[in-house]
Amino acid sequence: MSDPVRRPAVPPPSEAEPRPRRSLGVCALIGAAVMAAVDEIVFHQLLNWHHFYDRSTPSVGLLSDGLLHTAELLALVAGFTLWADLRRRGALSPSHARAGLFLGAGGFQLFDGIVDHKLLRTHQIRYGVDLLPYDLAWNAAGVVLLGVGAALAVRAGQNGRGDRSVGRGPEPSR
Amino acid sequence: MTSAHAHPTGTGPGFSALVAAAASSVAVVCYLLAAARLRRRGDAWPPLRDVCFATGGAALAAAAVVTPPGGPFTVHMARHLVVGMAAPLLLVLARPLTLALRALRPGRVRRALAATGRSRPAAWLLFPPTAAVLDVGGLWLLYRTPLWSVSHERPLLQAAVHFHVLAAGLLFAFAVCAVDPVRHRWGLPWRGAALLGAGAAHAVLAKSLYAAPPAGTAFAPDDRRAGALLMYYGGDAVELALAAVLAVGWYAAGGRAPARGGRSRSTARRPRLRPGPHPRPGPRPSGFGTTVRAIGGYPQDTTREGVTQRSAEQKR
Repeated sequence: MSDPVRRPAVPPPSEAEPRPRRSLGVCALIGAAVMAAVDEIVFHQLLNWHHFYDRSTPSVGLLSDGLLHTAELLALVAGFTLWADLRRRGALSPSHARAGLFLGAGGFQLFDGIVDHKLLRTHQIRYGVDLLPYDLAWNAAGVVLLGVGAALAVRAGQNGRGDRSVGRGPEPSR
Repeated sequence: MTSAHAHPTGTGPGFSALVAAAASSVAVVCYLLAAARLRRRGDAWPPLRDVCFATGGAALAAAAVVTPPGGPFTVHMARHLVVGMAAPLLLVLARPLTLALRALRPGRVRRALAATGRSRPAAWLLFPPTAAVLDVGGLWLLYRTPLWSVSHERPLLQAAVHFHVLAAGLLFAFAVCAVDPVRHRWGLPWRGAALLGAGAAHAVLAKSLYAAPPAGTAFAPDDRRAGALLMYYGGDAVELALAAVLAVGWYAAGGRAPARGGRSRSTARRPRLRPGPHPRPGPRPSGFGTTVRAIGGYPQDTTREGVTQRSAEQKR
């Protein structure tokens, strides 16, 4: 940063071209990380339903949890940086980005509900109660989010094809 | 401020604590003098770096002589956070090596410093996974072997442990941030993976401390849990800061690449407009020009080292 010439410059807008797959992927990363953070903040810390350290589970459960927690933080930072980069280049496709957000969030929710809660058993949603309604609600929420994401992705794909059949104008719509 | 100090021998801040505080104060003064020298001769040196280094040095000095409130384990963990994580990050962000290389007159000292930075052992030490293992692996040794209880009876060993925590923290922050000129700067995937691994190992260790105390120690359970929580969330905060440094570096580099006429990865797949050989960054018209001009302005920097040093900085 010691020279005045090196301000980050943006590529000229004429080069800009939406990149749907990348938009979807980047926002899926953000969605998964946000859902992980919501799980951690709402259920671990505010509601105290399941906790920082629940019981002496097998060490693989502990390791998976620590890795998940760290990956969530890094994914938040990386996702928002990649998103900012797409915006800067004018390459963000908003419809694909929305679809990616839902797909990522739903995917994480379902992964947590099935792998963490049921397969590895690092923690359960709540203790001392009948788990079935909680598990159903948790995983159904994940499925709904995934479904919304899939519908949005299909629609975004159709819109993208529609644009191209109209013909590629000089100004791609953002 | 002294009665609950972690050193079991002596009542005040021990001799080694005073030495540590004095050393970090001296380092801050040297840094500020060197930065002032650069500015006097017309170089740009952002004031934010001065603030970073001074804050880091002050935090180190404070950690050595001031006892924060809380039980003994919580106090220990607060110190650990400052000495091993927060202060190293601040010191590294101030780019002390860059400053030293630019502030020193050409001569034996500067040559030695530059040679050290470019040496092969330094390159391997700064390989991010190595630095991560040295940093977090040391913590696992400290808390999960009898080392902790043994070191409490031997002040010299305890001082060595504190020094290792600081040195390993500096090494890890230096390797992950990679803002100073060294022989080989490892790419983003290596640095990101090392950060992920070290962060996970740190989080797992914090959780295990919440569940079980270090061998051979007896802390009140509340104190131990508070300390473990502090380690867990404090580690998160520093890890987020490190990740932000990586992300901002990547973002800024992505902005500079097109400005230089080079191709960033995201535009490389499209058909090229100009025919030409392999898409290399090319001669970098603007950046190269300023290098020459900048060197011309400072006659004392026309040695070969000055040139390589400046062009190395230019690449960032």
